[in-house]
Amino acid sequence: MLDTQVKNQLIKIVGIDRYLDRLEELSCYAYDAFVEEALPDAVIFPETTAEVSELLKIASKYKIPVTGRGAGTSLCGASIPIRHGVVLCFSKMDKIIEVNTSDRYIIVQPGVVNGDVQKALEPFGFFYPPDPGSMNTSTIGGNIAMNAGGPRCLKYGVTADYVMGMEVVLASGKVIRFGSKNIKDVTGYKLSSLFCGSEGTLGIITEAILKVVPMPEAVKTLMVTFDNLDNTAKAVTDIIGSGIIPVAMELMDKLTLNAIEDVANLGLDREAQGSLLIEIDGVKEACEKEMKRIIEKVRENGATHIQEATNELEREKLWKARRSAYGIFAKLAPDIVTEDVTVPVSKVPLMIHKIVEITKKYDLKMGVLAHAGDGNMHPMIPADRSNKEEWGKVEAAFAEIFQAAAELDGTLSGEHGIGLGKSAYLPLVMNKDTIEFMKTIKQAVDPDLILNPGKFV
Amino acid sequence: MIENTLQNCGKCGLCLSVCPVYKILKQEQASPRAKLQLIKAYDNDTLVSSPLLKEIVSKCLMCGSCAANCPSGINHYSKFMEMRKKMVEAQGETPAIKSLIYLLAREYRLKFGADLARTGQKFVPDSFAKSIKLGNIPLKNFPKLNSIPFRKANDEIIFPYKKQIGIVVYFTGCATNYLYDDTGFAFIEILKHMGYKIIIPKDQTCCSIPLLFHGAADKAFKNITTNINALKNHDADAVVVDCSTCGEALKNEYPRVFENNGQDPFEANKIASKVMDALSFIDQNFDSLEFDPNVKDKISVTYHAPCHTRNSFGSNTFAEKILSKLPFINYKKAPDVDECCGGGGTFFYEYPEISKKMVDKKIENAKAVQASLWLTDCPVCRMNLAGNLDMDDRLQVLHPLTLIHSALKQI
Repeated sequence: MLDTQVKNQLIKIVGIDRYLDRLEELSCYAYDAFVEEALPDAVIFPETTAEVSELLKIASKYKIPVTGRGAGTSLCGASIPIRHGVVLCFSKMDKIIEVNTSDRYIIVQPGVVNGDVQKALEPFGFFYPPDPGSMNTSTIGGNIAMNAGGPRCLKYGVTADYVMGMEVVLASGKVIRFGSKNIKDVTGYKLSSLFCGSEGTLGIITEAILKVVPMPEAVKTLMVTFDNLDNTAKAVTDIIGSGIIPVAMELMDKLTLNAIEDVANLGLDREAQGSLLIEIDGVKEACEKEMKRIIEKVRENGATHIQEATNELEREKLWKARRSAYGIFAKLAPDIVTEDVTVPVSKVPLMIHKIVEITKKYDLKMGVLAHAGDGNMHPMIPADRSNKEEWGKVEAAFAEIFQAAAELDGTLSGEHGIGLGKSAYLPLVMNKDTIEFMKTIKQAVDPDLILNPGKFV
Repeated sequence: MIENTLQNCGKCGLCLSVCPVYKILKQEQASPRAKLQLIKAYDNDTLVSSPLLKEIVSKCLMCGSCAANCPSGINHYSKFMEMRKKMVEAQGETPAIKSLIYLLAREYRLKFGADLARTGQKFVPDSFAKSIKLGNIPLKNFPKLNSIPFRKANDEIIFPYKKQIGIVVYFTGCATNYLYDDTGFAFIEILKHMGYKIIIPKDQTCCSIPLLFHGAADKAFKNITTNINALKNHDADAVVVDCSTCGEALKNEYPRVFENNGQDPFEANKIASKVMDALSFIDQNFDSLEFDPNVKDKISVTYHAPCHTRNSFGSNTFAEKILSKLPFINYKKAPDVDECCGGGGTFFYEYPEISKKMVDKKIENAKAVQASLWLTDCPVCRMNLAGNLDMDDRLQVLHPLTLIHSALKQI
């Protein structure tokens, strides 16, 4: 509970309507898409940078923990207020400030939903490439704080590649602005990269200038199946090695394909050991040329069935199969865990072997789903959290999966972030001095450690 | 909707993007995910009953979009109904909702209520009607009650115009019976034109959805039993509805309620398997329709897909398919055809500020496509959309059946 005097000062800034502290309401901000939960003492909905600044001045003065929240879709618990305090929820600070496609940028407030950015750009023939699975719910502020990715980031890159400038409120309440509306800008440190993926531990994002790109003229989509999972993975490395960068290359194994087919009946090959959903885009002629080469490469790797979408409806059907995978696995048990270890593309076949081996050892059901083109694996394990023994196995299996990824020059997280979920494993991929260096930065900008405390730094 | 009771909410948040109330309020507690979380906390005794808890879980249109889009297959719909029941038991209900439940629980009370209201509508001075509002709808914009209840105005068995091709049982719902008999008369004419014998069982009563939404499960069960008895044993090819909410009840809730009450759901399941909404039924029999060749002019039409049509029947596509097939229609799709209008049973009455924002946006978009008719196959949507239009908005709201009927060839 916050002290009445502090509470009154906070209410004075935003008004009583945008301040919540009754238990029934607080319970709705104790969670995100991760498994843990912690109640905040208050939830505040700021609408302006000035309000955020005033709020942080008070939080600093009384050393109250502050956790930023967009739509609460973090998969690693980044928005869970584990040390309680105040949750700043940005869902009401949601204006699109400027759309400028001739200078190729859009300026937005942090609470704008990713999908709404896409909708605003569509009439101009532009889009914003980062496309996390949560894009119709999650906010740009959250996307930046987590450096979100998505299937098409294989070709286009992740959030950090699209943030041209930002306005950030520091723990002290000071407001800093960096970057600009210029595609080229090497003036000073590239601070936007520092804040991308900072998970709310360095400052609170209040505005962002995002780079946007023209929509491609043509899109081609292909579903390929193989009778061998190794060949499936090898086709991925071969295609990329031959100089083609598809928009997306989504890998699914036999268990996943069959689970989808059981429910959705899309005519997928049940005997296939692995499949790839490949999409390319660009100029029409170039797409056709690339498609030919992709087909050659998958044939060389023993593709058993190649299906090209001939119209938008067929394309939608292929993607529907891919997108439904998570939901279908989620229904196999009361809970589901999915992580996002990532390895260099050439190590994808090895990593898949490792994951299969480890989950077999612990006798867990597991489906392989991967943004294979960028080595981003999503092993999905349906399990029952209330079954202590089974849950222990899940945790042990993931610990081994992280270890295996590290040994293959991989990393803990390709797109979900570290948050509460993976901070214990940081030493697997970072030495002591590097972790120390992150702490030094944190200390310098947030000396009282009030911003999203209890997380990875 | 197959319920998966073992499933936990993964809290992924996808439901936020389809929840009409969340999209207006932009606060987590308005979201389906939060409601599940609160229900869990209440069941685990970490939260106790309170007026605020009741308010949070009730601030919901029961549109079913969360359940229809949930990757984990959670049936929010039945979980919310169950929780509403617990909250009504613990916290009581407002007098207005109580009287609604009282009326809907017995057919004779409904009839009596409608008679009174009809008399009332004659005597309420215009100046008074103009100045007061019920929920977000000005009183003057409420529809006039049918002069005779629809079921009373029709025979129990109606024969087709041409050679009989089948039998349908028609569940009329309260709206067609007391408010919008134009829908019912149009449907009967269309069915006769197609060659169907129509049975309108006299003993049918309120489908019970309003009762279930407001936690009156016992009263609902009585109505449901009455309806099952009225609808069974007719050897019909289909049980047709002109209101998708009634349809949703017959199709999904009746079998569930029977099972929850430890009763044999055989008859309920049998009826459920035959339930079809009017537009799906017409789509299926489209070839049996003959249109008047003299109708030459095209009329501009737009459509609003009711949530229960979309989420329970997936048949908004049927409506659009039919509209694009009709020779005399110029179909102008509104960009937000699938968005909820904010009617939501009694939602427009209980939460007028939220509902008003939703309906105003719908109206703005419908006007922008420049149609002269706005079709929708749900009586509450119709009342809400029409009730919020201004006199000078040249847009008329109708059930699609009325329009289809008006263009049929005379037999």
